[in-house]
Amino acid sequence: MANTVIGSSIVIDGEIAGEESLTILGTVKGKISTAQSVVVEAAATVEADVEAQTVTVGGKVTGNVTAREKLELRPEAKMVGNAKAPRIVVADGATFKGNVDMDV
Amino acid sequence: MASEDPCFIGSKTTVRGQVSGKQDVVVEGRIEGHISLDSHLTVEESGTVEADVEATVATLKGEVRGPVVATRSAVLHATARVAGKVKAPSIVIEDGARFSGEIEMDVELPADVVPGNA
Repeated sequence: MANTVIGSSIVIDGEIAGEESLTILGTVKGKISTAQSVVVEAAATVEADVEAQTVTVGGKVTGNVTAREKLELRPEAKMVGNAKAPRIVVADGATFKGNVDMDV
Repeated sequence: MASEDPCFIGSKTTVRGQVSGKQDVVVEGRIEGHISLDSHLTVEESGTVEADVEATVATLKGEVRGPVVATRSAVLHATARVAGKVKAPSIVIEDGARFSGEIEMDVELPADVVPGNA
């Protein structure tokens, strides 16, 4: 397993960049970019621009999200910001405020 | 403190900025900036840390540049390459570890030794 987990009590203020999947249970402020997937778990808080292959949001995200493949907002997601992805799924219960750009 | 979900920075990930928290952090990738933990920091062999480090226990097996302050102990394993100041009440340097810098163990100096002349 070559991936990164930001634990629930961890706060990162800055930038995370990488080429592997990233799971966030804690708090990240700043900027996130990875060649693989980003999962923001239910208790997590992200105040950052996110760029990844796939982005799955279960927690709170404030910032612009760009997914090269797919963005998914789970029922418990709370997202404020612009979403850009060719495929976007918003589950029943998710709250979302922002622009959607599917590049059509 | 036991951490139910350890924090893990993978080998292909770089974190720049401030990392803080209360759970154990394992670094196989790279952290630049400032690390302030109320827990155990492990820098694995493939890990690189260029940061001011504060932790309770620092286990160093990779490359570390910057002052390291551990409130309990710091261990430089045989594979460690460390530059900078290391401060902890207990410090272990294993055979094979490379270290250049200053060690401070917070010991009570005899009265005839003037601190700061080291």
